[in-house]
Amino acid sequence: MTQTHTPCCGPGYASPEAAMRADSEKLLYTTALYVGSDVQAPDYLATVDVDPQSPAYSRVIHRLPMPYLGDELHHFGWNACSSCHGDPGRSRRFLILPGIRSSRIYIVDTEEARAPRLHKVLEPEEIKAKTNLTAPHTVHCLADGQVMISMLGDGEGQGPGGFLLLDERFEIAGRWENQADGMRFNYDFWYQPRHNVMVSSEWGAPRTFYPGFDLADVAAGRYGRRIHFWDWQQRALVQSVDLGEEGLIPLELRFLHNPESTRGFVAAALSSNLWHWSRQNGDWQIQKVVDVPAVEVEGWPIPVPSLITDQLISMDDRYLYFSNWLHGDLRQYDIGDPLHPKLTGQVWCGGLLGKSGQVQGHTLRGGPQMLQLSLDGKRLYVTNSLFSTWDNQFYPDLNAAGSYLLQIDCDTERGGLAINADFYVDFGKEPEGPARAHEMRYPGGDCTSDIWI
Amino acid sequence: MSTYRVEMVNRDGQVLVVSAEQSILAAAEAAGIALPFGCRYGVCITCAARLIAGKVEHSRTVALKPEQLAADFVLLCVAHLRSDSRLQVGLESQWELYRNPWRPTI
Ligand code: FES
Repeated sequence: MTQTHTPCCGPGYASPEAAMRADSEKLLYTTALYVGSDVQAPDYLATVDVDPQSPAYSRVIHRLPMPYLGDELHHFGWNACSSCHGDPGRSRRFLILPGIRSSRIYIVDTEEARAPRLHKVLEPEEIKAKTNLTAPHTVHCLADGQVMISMLGDGEGQGPGGFLLLDERFEIAGRWENQADGMRFNYDFWYQPRHNVMVSSEWGAPRTFYPGFDLADVAAGRYGRRIHFWDWQQRALVQSVDLGEEGLIPLELRFLHNPESTRGFVAAALSSNLWHWSRQNGDWQIQKVVDVPAVEVEGWPIPVPSLITDQLISMDDRYLYFSNWLHGDLRQYDIGDPLHPKLTGQVWCGGLLGKSGQVQGHTLRGGPQMLQLSLDGKRLYVTNSLFSTWDNQFYPDLNAAGSYLLQIDCDTERGGLAINADFYVDFGKEPEGPARAHEMRYPGGDCTSDIWI
Repeated sequence: MSTYRVEMVNRDGQVLVVSAEQSILAAAEAAGIALPFGCRYGVCITCAARLIAGKVEHSRTVALKPEQLAADFVLLCVAHLRSDSRLQVGLESQWELYRNPWRPTI
């Protein structure tokens, strides 16, 4: 993707509206992994050609293997985004690519966009020694050259973890938070600088979620159910909200892209509900706005939850998308009335309920999981792996089949979703063996990276 | 320093010589045998293997539940041999650790 570079400007776009008018994405990066499979090879960053005009359309065109085995590449993020648009001295060039299982952090240089190369490695021993943090997850740049990463555990794999800061040279600068009383676990975070707020969610401690999902851990209170609102400048937790039984395992958090808004959404994965927050009279209010009921499967002892594992919002703040990893459907909601989201599209991409079809002759295995949306809101990309140990529990056949990467066409006029039959990236046919694909980003920014200050 | 022999029954019976001070995973790596791992400190089960015969010391194991320990699973990143042993290694030894809690167990 090309970005309009005028001498005035740094990376990204002046506003969400400007981002929507950018050229369409031509390349997509995704993490691809072998951890937890029976292939002993390093995880890698795959470059996928997503330009319909290209002869290599819908194919992996480059692979950057990591120098170590066993990382579990998972989420990743940029060194700079639209929050540095006003600074011509900065560019969106480096990817910060953590291994959630190894606790190692890679810095990848994308100067050559099709063929990124490794720039730097931060070893887990150094991170542990300086910060007592492990299990890196979400990456956001901070508009001042620093990068912040949510860390889900300490050196022993216990909660609550914290937030790691990297300086402009990607050296460890310490921990971000000054006061975190009330935080029991960590997971995702997003900040909205005009409102001086950061919000974070809770998965569990690494020693709980690494080995796999166990209902006994839920019963014992070892999974999260709180959302935390932080004073961004003071780096202090100011308000925690307990979502209760209806809000178990709140994962991905998204503020609206409009930097003036205090509204945002979070999906509780296990309870399979979508929640809306906003600030009213200085207080953060949060309420449940969508319920996905568990489904009875014949012969199974307890109803199966949908497990909402990812969600995102279109750049114009009009549509919200979420994936039901266990049921297998991907949904589009009109959030024009944010307290009453309206279901406008639904498509089946695998899942345990057996409602899915095929794409280009491929049975869709796993369930829809990580999402990324084009800046214009018309193309939604989806991969089907969640986390290696959990994949092995719920979708053991992903080991031999590898992941899919699909592209869904989104009707942004009337609503509606349809799988693009011309696009299917088969990670089952990778040179080293079947791989599992996870988070996705484009060189020019996307719907889950950019923040406007 | 005592050393023990461990046979990997599902790696064509390959035999590895391990000192008591070394984790089985580290010894395998030193011998150029690629076995799966993740955290390397006993909290994630990616390196799990099944002890078919022999004795290991693995008190730093965190990630295995009592019934999994009872079923002779060991975590190779924190396991040390205390006798000549036989192991089944890799993902194929681990499937019993991966259960969908909603699906009926057969
Ligand atoms: S590598 Fe994680 S428990 Fe051994």
